[in-house]
Amino acid sequence: MYTIGKLAPASDVSSDALRYYEREGLLTPAGRSASSYRLYDKDSVRRLRFIRHAQTCGFTLTEIRELLAVRGREAACCGDVRTQAIEKKLQLEAKIRSMKVMSQALDGLIEDCVHEDHPVTGCPILAAFEQAVMPAPAK
Amino acid sequence: MKVELFHAPGCAQCATAEASLKKAALKVVADLSWREVNVLDELDYAVELGILTLPAVVIDRELVFASLPTPGQLREALVQRAQAAVR
Repeated sequence: MYTIGKLAPASDVSSDALRYYEREGLLTPAGRSASSYRLYDKDSVRRLRFIRHAQTCGFTLTEIRELLAVRGREAACCGDVRTQAIEKKLQLEAKIRSMKVMSQALDGLIEDCVHEDHPVTGCPILAAFEQAVMPAPAK
Repeated sequence: MKVELFHAPGCAQCATAEASLKKAALKVVADLSWREVNVLDELDYAVELGILTLPAVVIDRELVFASLPTPGQLREALVQRAQAAVR
């Protein structure tokens, strides 16, 4: 059994994060010590590893909760999880694309700002932000 | 008109629904082009179209259904487009 003080550094997670996972219903301690300290067993460690790994793949805690539920569902098949993974990849690729567009927009602004010693009132980057046309709100 | 059904490989739900959707679509548009796309084969194209969930239905390069429609819903979407094209 591990206390929160042992599990947190061993898993490279903060104690606050472990308590947060508990509040979110993702990771429940296996029990409590006589002094009421949280105690985690090997299953908790395995579950925590699952949560952390899924987070590094871009899954949100809500999505991880679904994945954990699928894992425990007998009728579920690997294809269900695979589809979720593919959807996550689509979302990440879309995000990468929009971030590339943002980065390119910054390239243009950085190129426009050639006089570093000009006063900030004449800064073309700030001026461009002020003049930028806002996109129409989605209907 | 071109309809593309994007799906994850091995999607049992899509395989079942595909035939009825295709049949419904062909009833509305005789010269319809129907394509099933394994999203992993054309990921860039799927991202370009704004597909984030699967299965998804695209009509003439526009994402119209972010989940599997019923044959009736697909038929209605195609009818609306056909009417808009005539106007």
